[in-house]
Amino acid sequence: MVENNTYDVAVIGAGLSGLSAALRLAMFGKKVLVLEKHYVVGGLNSFYAKGGKKFDVGLHALTNFPSEDSGKKSPLFKLCRQLRIPLDSLQLKEQSYSRISFPEKELRFSNNFPNFIEEVNEKFPASKDAFGKLLKKMEEFPAYSVDAPELSTREILKDSSIDPLLAEMLLCPTCYYGSARHDDIDFPTFVMLFDAIFRQGLARPEEGIRAILDPLCRKLKELGVERRMNTGVSKFHVHDDQIAEIELESGENVIAEQIISTCGVIETESLLSSHDNEDNQSKVGNFTILESISVMQGTPKELNWEETVVFFNDSEKFDYICPHNPVDLRSGVICIPENYHSTTDSSNFKLRITHPANFPFWSSLSKQQYRDEKEKYEDRILQNGLRYLNGGTDSMDEIADRIILRDTFTPKTIKRFTSHENGTLYGSPTKSRDGSTKYKNLFLAGTDQGYIGIVGSMLGGIAVANNQILRPA
Amino acid sequence: MTKDKIKQIVLDIIAEIAPDEDLTDVKPEVRLRDQLDLDSMDFLDIVMELRKQHGIDVPEAEYRELESLDSCGNYLLPKFEASAAA
Repeated sequence: MVENNTYDVAVIGAGLSGLSAALRLAMFGKKVLVLEKHYVVGGLNSFYAKGGKKFDVGLHALTNFPSEDSGKKSPLFKLCRQLRIPLDSLQLKEQSYSRISFPEKELRFSNNFPNFIEEVNEKFPASKDAFGKLLKKMEEFPAYSVDAPELSTREILKDSSIDPLLAEMLLCPTCYYGSARHDDIDFPTFVMLFDAIFRQGLARPEEGIRAILDPLCRKLKELGVERRMNTGVSKFHVHDDQIAEIELESGENVIAEQIISTCGVIETESLLSSHDNEDNQSKVGNFTILESISVMQGTPKELNWEETVVFFNDSEKFDYICPHNPVDLRSGVICIPENYHSTTDSSNFKLRITHPANFPFWSSLSKQQYRDEKEKYEDRILQNGLRYLNGGTDSMDEIADRIILRDTFTPKTIKRFTSHENGTLYGSPTKSRDGSTKYKNLFLAGTDQGYIGIVGSMLGGIAVANNQILRPA
Repeated sequence: MTKDKIKQIVLDIIAEIAPDEDLTDVKPEVRLRDQLDLDSMDFLDIVMELRKQHGIDVPEAEYRELESLDSCGNYLLPKFEASAAA
């Protein structure tokens, strides 16, 4: 019996980093067990169906599109190679264009970096030289290295003497797509996300996140990887400097020579039998979001809504914080997935609007209160968001008539999908880039490795599998 | 085993891990990195496929022996022979 519960590697979490790590390990002959608490794969980047419509949880955009300029340098290209999933099979559809919208200025970008530089220079002519120098500094900075210094981007942008409004406008999309820090983003992550969004670009698989999850799961199955769903881990039994046994919530024990945990740094620590209840609150991230999705009749074109993503902020200063209010309506992200150049015609489309939100509020409500508050905010969010779309405020009634279905996911939903404390979107502000811990057979992958987004989390999982486990000593 | 066979084995592995690369004109004396888009992760895969498919171990300190097809032939031949004799 014991033999059946013995593995080379146990991977905790069937999100994108865990599945990617498991696949790399299985490709090279490791006996792998994947344990997932939830009943679906994907973690933060999962999917669900409601009212006969399919919804992706996390996927606004797949960043790092291998555009003409970036091509094979794009991390997306590299990860497809590592997992032997042909890039073509994702059927990526590029964005139309996207927009960063502040009261006095807006910046548009598509998957063409030279055009974006031109756009910045045109809107901020006085910052041309400073912006050029900043780009050079970013290119020279070792952002992708595991020991990149985690400097403050706000400080660096201030020192660069670009127009303060331009600095805020660059912070808005990069923070939203991956900062775990309070009102700032560490510089390596900023550079990686700047490259991912602007230098490379935004796209979406035609079939949504399942275009990535399905081949991953299929390959894992072919390679004989055992995946147990609805299976939470309750404890890591520590012996000396390593984990001897994994205790499952069912009471069963599993033995693995090595463990990759993707549930987060704090969450992993709390599973250790030697856990000393030290005050870890400072290490827990608290940034999270609420997203309201409206499925509407017709096409976005009929409303002259052409953008794929709109990052908006209602003042010159962008605050990236956990709000005191249930939802912070001052800034947010709008995504219209149908505005990726899709080849399929649809008679309806989705409008997704995302805002910073307060986890303690959403997690403390009773069932009825939760439903009521969701409904209340759905209306407010839609009204507010329409201000940032072409003619949106004038056609409020027409737009309301088009709504077929609405759904909202809150910080509480994110906690359910990711098991992250506080429902945090991007994990702890403290990162372990190489995945190492003080236990010699326990490694971290995923969000708290600091590689962010779908592409980042997958590459993070691959890097931990390669560098910590597969690479011959 | 011959050096030419080994070069073909390495090319077959590259075709498997980088199916998008055009391998028709790979020059055996030129560094692979200089004629193909291969990075250190791809070289790790070449090493691991050699181990998986042929039981050949290449220690990390000797990865650079694999820089061109010619050097692969020279470096790997004794290893293939040793593994055949074993």
